[in-house]
Amino acid sequence: MNSDYINIALADDDEDDRLFFTDAFEELKIKSKVSTFEDGIELMEFLENSNNTHPDLLFLDLNMPKKSGLECLVEIKTNDRFKNMVIAIYSTSSSEMDIENTFVQGANIYIKKPNNFETLKKVLSEVVTTNWQYHTNGLNKENFLLRL
Amino acid sequence: MNLTPNNYLKAAFGIGLFIILCIGGFTYKHIQSLSESSKTVKSTYSVSSELAKILSNLKQAESGHRGFLLTSDSIFLDPYFSGVTQLKENLGRLDTLVPENTDQRKNLKKLKSDIEKRFSIFKRSFGLVDDKLILSEDLLYVLHEGKMSMDQIRKDLVNMQDLESRLMAESQVKNEKAMDLTPLMFFGILILTLILLLLAYAKMNKDLMELKDTNDDLVVFKKLTQQAEKISHSGTWIWYVEEDEFYYSDNLFNLLGVEPNSFEPSLEKFIGFVHVDDREGLGQQINKMIKEEDLPLVTFRIVQPDGTIKHLKAFGKLIENAFEEKQLIGVTVDATEEYENFKLIEQRNQELERNNKELSAFNYVTSHDLQEPLRKIQTFISRLEVKDKDNLSEAGNICVEKIKSASARMRLLIDDLLQYSRTNKTESDFSETNMNMLLESAKQELIDSIEEKEAVITSQNLPTMDVISFQIQQLFINIIGNSLKYSREGVPPKIDIKHEEVISSEVEELKDSFIKHYHKISIKDNGIGFEQTYAKKIFVLFNRLHGKTEYSGTGIGLAICKKIVDNHNGVILAEGIPNVGAKFIIYLPYLK
Repeated sequence: MNSDYINIALADDDEDDRLFFTDAFEELKIKSKVSTFEDGIELMEFLENSNNTHPDLLFLDLNMPKKSGLECLVEIKTNDRFKNMVIAIYSTSSSEMDIENTFVQGANIYIKKPNNFETLKKVLSEVVTTNWQYHTNGLNKENFLLRL
Repeated sequence: MNLTPNNYLKAAFGIGLFIILCIGGFTYKHIQSLSESSKTVKSTYSVSSELAKILSNLKQAESGHRGFLLTSDSIFLDPYFSGVTQLKENLGRLDTLVPENTDQRKNLKKLKSDIEKRFSIFKRSFGLVDDKLILSEDLLYVLHEGKMSMDQIRKDLVNMQDLESRLMAESQVKNEKAMDLTPLMFFGILILTLILLLLAYAKMNKDLMELKDTNDDLVVFKKLTQQAEKISHSGTWIWYVEEDEFYYSDNLFNLLGVEPNSFEPSLEKFIGFVHVDDREGLGQQINKMIKEEDLPLVTFRIVQPDGTIKHLKAFGKLIENAFEEKQLIGVTVDATEEYENFKLIEQRNQELERNNKELSAFNYVTSHDLQEPLRKIQTFISRLEVKDKDNLSEAGNICVEKIKSASARMRLLIDDLLQYSRTNKTESDFSETNMNMLLESAKQELIDSIEEKEAVITSQNLPTMDVISFQIQQLFINIIGNSLKYSREGVPPKIDIKHEEVISSEVEELKDSFIKHYHKISIKDNGIGFEQTYAKKIFVLFNRLHGKTEYSGTGIGLAICKKIVDNHNGVILAEGIPNVGAKFIIYLPYLK
């Protein structure tokens, strides 16, 4: 693992969103490796294969076919191998129920997909540069939902 | 001791019996003493007459003796001897009459010895009789001696007679005393018995009256019960456990769908009416009831002879009557209507639940699925704007601007709709909240707009109220936001918030309310106002008074306000004067 690069993964069934996501990272010029997955099953198969490098930062869409983001979150959080992985929920929904559930299951931050590409870039750069050790210690329901 | 009517009767009978026995005892004793005293009188008379006979026989013997002395003729000896014989008999009878060891017995002894002496003098004088000499000196002496002895005997007889008289007088006095007391005592006892009889009569009479009253009450009560049973569709029953006999009220027969008393009530007969599927369950309950002597509430179905199925519920209780016999009394109620209502409510509840689920599914659709394509449109446009703005023609750029504003409006609509559908009422969300804090938070949310328009907001001190805090905050945001939005061109908005307590009867719109006190919060501005005719319309969903181009808005904001106030069981009103300003008045219940 090259420590200069930050390993980022995104699981989202929406092709457009994956495109926005990779474009944003390209434009941000952050030294990163972005891998994308089309659904939860694909993501979990990748993660369970120990030959693959684990992402440092995982963006999880909630509403996905086959295996939802919440199911993936539960599976990852119950596996000790992934205990240092930072998980950001990346969803269109901002319903109280979704925020509550993912917070309880141990996600690190909740991002509502922005309406504007420039905002998206700002959000992603904020998340990547956050000191997660520090943030996680002070995590509560108030700062769980990312506001810009 | 608990004096039941039964015990009263027993006590009265016991006292009566005792008194009668007392009367008998006293009477026996008095009659006995009377007969004793009459015996005493009889013996006194016998003794007296014997004493008199003794004197006369002595005299007869003496005169015989004298005749013989004068004539020496033995013819005079006859009365003498007969007198002597009778005297002996007299003395013998006295012997039996005079009781032993008494003064009279001593007197009798002396009399006997004196008579003995007299006879020895008689005998001696017979030895001295000389035919020639009529009266010898010796004889004269003996005759003197005889006279003295005779006097002595007379004295003895008088003594005895006196003593008898005295005894009789004594006994008479004693007798009289007893005789005097007897009538008084009989009279007393009689009076006492009479009083007791009267008391017993009064008591029995009173008991009878009470019994009659109780009986009357029972008759009335029975009629009332019959009416109550008819109205409440219930029946009553009694199970005399020891005799295994049943009593059914008329309406219980009616509940079973048969004429009253159309069959002899029994457990088997009743079970015959019970729905086949419920027989086992009811049987178990009855077995349990016999064991535990108590019937908890049981429900079961019965089938009436015409096939109608009724839902019944029964409840029983074990009691013991005055003879300590066990009786199970119970009530059976027709619960068919209740059951059907319950089923209907359950059905409606399920329908409501289904509707709610559909609604929340709809919420999810609006919050997620509708937003997703819109978000992409907006994101693509933002990309187009940044990357290819220079490559587009002027017309193209105008198109992009139009698409941007249309999608922004679409977003606004979706967000507002979502908020409207989420503005629901949950009791648990109510809490005592400082309204000043909510107003302050609302002002914070609107700070940009306030500063931009240089608005001045003044408010009175607001009380603490029991509200759904995030909804009231939204209410403030929407109304103040409205005032800021609909301000007059070039006139800085002035918003004045006031509070007072009102009594519902004094406010036209609250006249029909059950709640007496209300909080009145009024929010007044100096904006463009509106025609009073639209005062009601502005709270209706999607209703707008102005064109979209003049003022942005979805027509949902005030509809949300109305929903929030409805959730708090309050009333919201609007007053407007065009180009002067608008005033929103909110009444919220104040539960003191």
